[in-house]
Amino acid sequence: MNDHGDDAQPDLPGSERRRLRTSRLIQYLLLQAMIVAACALALLQSLPGPPSQYQLSAFQLTEAGVERAVTLPYFSSLRNAMNDPPRFEGHFVRPAGEATQPWSVFLPRFTNGVEVTVNGVVILDSRRDPAANRPDRNTPAIAVIPASVLHDGDNAISVRLFIWGPITGFLDRVWVGPDELLRPSYDLRTLVFVTLPVVFSSWQAILAVILGIMWVMRRHEPAYGVLAVAMAVGVGQAFLQTPMGGETLFSKLNVILISSAPIESALVLTFALLFSGWKWQRYAWILFLPGVLLALAGAFGNQALVRALFLVLAIPMVGLSLVIMAIVTARSVLKRPNVAGLLLGCAITIMLTCWIADLLSVFQMTPNRIFVSRLSYSVMLVAIGAGLTWRFARALNQVDGFAGRLVTQVREAEEKLKASFAREEERARAAALARERTRLMRDLHDGLGGQLVSIVALSERGNGGAGIGDAARAALKDLRLVIDSMDDIGGDLMLALGSWRERAMAQLRPHDIALDWRAGTAQGLPVHPELRPWHVIQIVRLLDEAVTNAVKHAGARRVTVRIETLAGSDGLHRGCITVEDDGKGFEIAPDGAAAGAAKAARGLRNMRSRATRCGAELELSSCAQGTRVRLTLPHRFPDSDAAAG
Amino acid sequence: MNSLNDEPKVAAITVVLLEDDAPTLWRLQDALTKAGYQVRAAGTLAEARACLAQGAPRVLLTDLQLPDGHGVDLIRETRQRYPDTEIMVISILGDEESVISAITVGATGYLLKDAFPTDIAATVRDLVAGHSPISASIARFIVRRTQNTPEPPPGPALNTTKLTPREIDILWGIAKGFSYAEIASHLGLSRQTVPGHIKNIYRKLEVHTRGEAVFEAVQQGLIKL
Repeated sequence: MNDHGDDAQPDLPGSERRRLRTSRLIQYLLLQAMIVAACALALLQSLPGPPSQYQLSAFQLTEAGVERAVTLPYFSSLRNAMNDPPRFEGHFVRPAGEATQPWSVFLPRFTNGVEVTVNGVVILDSRRDPAANRPDRNTPAIAVIPASVLHDGDNAISVRLFIWGPITGFLDRVWVGPDELLRPSYDLRTLVFVTLPVVFSSWQAILAVILGIMWVMRRHEPAYGVLAVAMAVGVGQAFLQTPMGGETLFSKLNVILISSAPIESALVLTFALLFSGWKWQRYAWILFLPGVLLALAGAFGNQALVRALFLVLAIPMVGLSLVIMAIVTARSVLKRPNVAGLLLGCAITIMLTCWIADLLSVFQMTPNRIFVSRLSYSVMLVAIGAGLTWRFARALNQVDGFAGRLVTQVREAEEKLKASFAREEERARAAALARERTRLMRDLHDGLGGQLVSIVALSERGNGGAGIGDAARAALKDLRLVIDSMDDIGGDLMLALGSWRERAMAQLRPHDIALDWRAGTAQGLPVHPELRPWHVIQIVRLLDEAVTNAVKHAGARRVTVRIETLAGSDGLHRGCITVEDDGKGFEIAPDGAAAGAAKAARGLRNMRSRATRCGAELELSSCAQGTRVRLTLPHRFPDSDAAAG
Repeated sequence: MNSLNDEPKVAAITVVLLEDDAPTLWRLQDALTKAGYQVRAAGTLAEARACLAQGAPRVLLTDLQLPDGHGVDLIRETRQRYPDTEIMVISILGDEESVISAITVGATGYLLKDAFPTDIAATVRDLVAGHSPISASIARFIVRRTQNTPEPPPGPALNTTKLTPREIDILWGIAKGFSYAEIASHLGLSRQTVPGHIKNIYRKLEVHTRGEAVFEAVQQGLIKL
């Protein structure tokens, strides 16, 4: 019900909040004062009438047996005059030569009913028009005088004013003249006081349906249901007509509906209270008391009683409701400024102004008797419609924003899920690899490994088995390499090189070759998350090849392994591993292959092929002072072994 | 493995050697005997227990897969009965599966079965001198267990909670192939203290009591309290 969204700044200090509320109150009151002034100004404007030359205001009035001269407009003091209505006798002159165009009698305003007689012939009885019988509507009347009745020169006109309450009788000025001159004024009044209210009543009917649907769909907001009922009551009131006699069941219902203004106002008041966040209390039923009393009077009493009660119950009830609504709405708007509340507040101010104007009119404190309360109610209907639409649009915007946020959040969550799924997959893959490695290791340990060790031992015992022993030892070394490279090293090649160093030292020690290990920093090489076991095997075998060459072909005394991280010209860091020996070297053919022994040549070719597969650069240089193998690692290792082709 | 270059002074150093593969047993026995150790060789757990019954050896060298049982049991028994005996496991691949499970019951080193005779003697000599050998792959295995992962990697269970950050740094250095001297200089230590740290690491990985075994089982998620 409440617009929590635009609540006032809640964390302001007390004095600041008071100051803010005061300034808001002043602004609100200024706005309402301007609206009152504008309304008063508008109400003071009288509707344009026909040319004044056709206006009749001097009449001879016979009222309650007394005859006297009066000037219209005339306020009668009678509340009921049906059997002996006041009779106004007057004269008008039709100039000669105007017989060609029809003449009419135009009565812009009267309460409650009129019967017009021209030259003794009744030409108009407003009581036959139900709409004209509603004193709250300012229905005008016009009647064309039959040509046969009218004659040139002096004509007599007589108006009988029927009064049946609840207010006193009234007759505005009367115009008699050419129909075409009187008609526009009549049409204007009909438009404003008859057609427009019908249009607004239709609008009210639509509102009743919309609000009813709203309440059905949102049962926890009873304010809409209350307003829907109020609108429905208003529609019934507008379209049902005053019965002019008879006391049938239908006519009683009719009376109850027509006098339902206090019920309607109580309903609208309840809506305003609920709308401003007020909780329904049991004692609030008292608001409906006037309406219920009136309805009971309609059901069990007669029409005269209803009319009399209407004056004392309905009109004050409407005014009271308006005053309470004005206060409640103002408070609600000051607390939480919102467009719907502000519109409602302004509409209530307009209605209140009009209600006061009508009251003044009833008490004959204004020169005329035009009732505008009912008309001003349409402003309220417009405000309700506009407020509803505003809230609906705002709610849609919120839903859109919410949906947008939701879409973003769902997308983020999806991405997180994807990433975590990929991580989980990677972890599962690593775990599977580790399990496989453990299994393989156990198998090799129990089988092949033990057999190879036995071969080594046996070859050492029997003389001349050195070749077999070396082969078995080489097989064991390769076995360790394969198992080692399956281990998850988290992309840190240094962890693989650590194990390789041990194996290389074990290999070099029997040959009395020293291994000089120079790792520049504690980190050594950049970490490559994309590093896979097959990369590691290629690199380690390449390095093995370099060390084996140094042992077998170069006759070296010392092998130096240098591990560095180089910053390239492109700003990227690349790992670089250099294996140097101080052997006798060999000649390198222009194509990079060793010119010497076929075996060494094959070794070099293998090294190149392994470097290419890993996307690394291999640099070979050899001279009489030694051989240098320099391996520059790629910035990113290739995903597939495509280069193997 | 870091060998020391001292001349061998191995008088009266007794070694109990348990290995079921005959050629390997001869080979190891040869290497040790030639280096001057007093070796009592055994091919089965029963024989080894008989050898141990004769008195505490200085060093126990044992294989794990044996015809009449598992070497881990013998290591545990020896560790309880002769706390001063240095225990070393004989491994084919130097793998965590065999070495770590031996460390948790009290071994402080490992020996590769195909090591050259000189290396075999040097490794035992270093062990007696208080220098426990550790391989890069074993160090790597241990440090990986110190990292918090949702599920422990496969392999033998290991409780690393007692290791200090410094000890973990040393293990990282070994895993990356740095020498003791390099590790010492990177960490601002004296080179001589590194072997002592490694022995401490082995001792901290050992499961001493039943309570610790339960604690470790809970840590590894094997037991739910």
